[in-house]
Amino acid sequence: MRSNSTLVAVALGVLLLAGVPMLLSQGLVNAAIQMLIAALFASAYNVLCGQAGMLSFGHAAYFGIGAFGTVHAMNALGGTGLLPTPLMPLAGAVSGLAIGAVAGWFATKRTGTYFAMITLAIAELLHALAPHLKGLFGGEAGVSAMRMPAMGLNFGSTTQVYYLTLAWVLASLALLYFYTVTPAGRLALGLRENGHRLRFLGYHVHGLSVLVFSISAMFSGIAGALQVINNEAANYVVFDASLSASVVLNTYIGGVKVFLGPALGASLMTFFGYAVSDLTQSWLLYQGILFVLVMMFMPEGLAGLLGLAAREQRRLGLARFAPVLLACVAASVLLAAGTTFVVELLQRMFSQDYRALASANAAAPWPPITLLGHAWLPAAAVTWLVPAGLLAGGGVLLLAVRRRLQPAQAESEPAAHAPAPLVQSPGGAA
Amino acid sequence: MNADPILTLRGVRKAFGATEIIRGVDLDLQPQERHALIGPNGAGKSTVFHLVSGHYTPSAGEIALAGRRIEGRGPQAINRMGLARSFQITNIFPGLTVFENLRLAVMRPRGLQYCLWKRIGRDPAIRRETERLLEQVRLQHRAATLAGEMSYSEQRSLEIAMTLASDPKVILLDEPMAGMSREETAYTSDLIRTVTRGRALLIVEHDMQVVFALSDRISVLVYGQVIATGTPSEIRANPAVKEAYLGEEVAA
Repeated sequence: MRSNSTLVAVALGVLLLAGVPMLLSQGLVNAAIQMLIAALFASAYNVLCGQAGMLSFGHAAYFGIGAFGTVHAMNALGGTGLLPTPLMPLAGAVSGLAIGAVAGWFATKRTGTYFAMITLAIAELLHALAPHLKGLFGGEAGVSAMRMPAMGLNFGSTTQVYYLTLAWVLASLALLYFYTVTPAGRLALGLRENGHRLRFLGYHVHGLSVLVFSISAMFSGIAGALQVINNEAANYVVFDASLSASVVLNTYIGGVKVFLGPALGASLMTFFGYAVSDLTQSWLLYQGILFVLVMMFMPEGLAGLLGLAAREQRRLGLARFAPVLLACVAASVLLAAGTTFVVELLQRMFSQDYRALASANAAAPWPPITLLGHAWLPAAAVTWLVPAGLLAGGGVLLLAVRRRLQPAQAESEPAAHAPAPLVQSPGGAA
Repeated sequence: MNADPILTLRGVRKAFGATEIIRGVDLDLQPQERHALIGPNGAGKSTVFHLVSGHYTPSAGEIALAGRRIEGRGPQAINRMGLARSFQITNIFPGLTVFENLRLAVMRPRGLQYCLWKRIGRDPAIRRETERLLEQVRLQHRAATLAGEMSYSEQRSLEIAMTLASDPKVILLDEPMAGMSREETAYTSDLIRTVTRGRALLIVEHDMQVVFALSDRISVLVYGQVIATGTPSEIRANPAVKEAYLGEEVAA
């Protein structure tokens, strides 16, 4: 019954994804490609981090290796012969796997903090080395390649690239899911829980860790390959630590305990990045706020939040749950609006342009700031009362929701799951 | 003393820096015997277990399992040669279900480690064996519970089941009854008696009633040396043991 409904949901999701190019504009289809790639990268990362408990701080290395492996394969083979353009990500998979196996062999000699430091060092090593190896990584300019026509497709349109990306991402996710139900995939969970015990059960823990690391690196390589096919170029910037960091953030924001959690987190964050980065200069700040809120109040991430909402709905019934949900959403929107208002206002107030403007006429009061089509005077009370009102409204709503949920909890049997995360649902980045 | 011992320790020493914890231990474990290792706190009982199971490498001496030297080998190699152990501090996979805990223990002896092509849920042999072990330690009703959420004694039962999964010839149990109530101790004692039938058991335990009721033979470890080995009645009568360790506990 339950697996049937899961199957239906997955089928619907795939259909929806397949319909994207027909429903959305070119620009959004391009964003969708980025989202798919980020989703695959985060899922590959979660094989290591969420499932096997190995926190890597340098996963950009394998993404980048996959990207460069593919760009060179595209140039060398010209999209013909044994490796036509649609199969190009295999080059990324092989290079990711090969480098991942070597790096993993060293990194998994240690666990915990030391493991994280080694992965960080390997990625930084590549990042520092890449600009100097011009032949391999193309220096500042990077390496470019052309998507050659193959199998009767010319890969000239965004739509064709989208379908190519979608096919690879779906196939990879299916394989990664299958991996979780194989003996090796189950052992990875044991590795996370208690690697020490595994040794005394007769397992070769280092070998197992290298295997898990390599699988993760291989699928990261595929994600890198898909990005190269989309961009028709690769640059050593791909090794930057910010990519390693964002995959960690995306994975945790999505939720490491649920298979599709990281994919959800990565696609949402990529989409927000796409939608918001033109509107604000503070996108990184919002991303950071969101991450901190998730870590503090719902360590199981957005996927955990969805699961919690589903459980509460079953427990309370739709009639009692709907108002609570609405109030939560409204509170999140109010708090998010208040926060963004303050951040944007302050960001403009502290910008160099504005400082220059203000000091040019030091005697006069500070000039107004235009935000949302309205000119706000920094010295006027109303300017600060608006966000204060928004924040207060959100806070009061949250308290009300909390009050409504708490008695319900006391009457239910010892609740296995704390309800606090639902109440604290953040919407900081909206 | 008739058959060849399954596990022998000869002149085993272990030093940490300048401190010698184990100072020349000789010990024989016969096949199918229940052998207890007792001694005051700090005598080195757990260290002996760590040496035998491959957690530590001895500084000197020989350890042989079924005639093959094992000192200096890794825990996974020793486990594959037929020795399994439990730990003084419960050592399970707390975030996984009880069933999953046992299944991980069951997979290894059936050669499943680097297997990426089959669904573990579809393996009837693994499922049957896991269920058989669950039943043996009476945890069937707990199969879907997270191991970390069970009571202490249930976790200890799970540990015993995990040590049994590789069908070992030698089992080492490190204080399996520590922290248990009277009933739990009696229950676990029965359980150990049943499940170790046909295997050699080396057990460290502080509960002297259990030790004397359960063991065929007892070795007494004091300051890193075995001062006596014998049947429970011999040990009870041994003046050196009385002086060194047992005192009124046995007399009472």
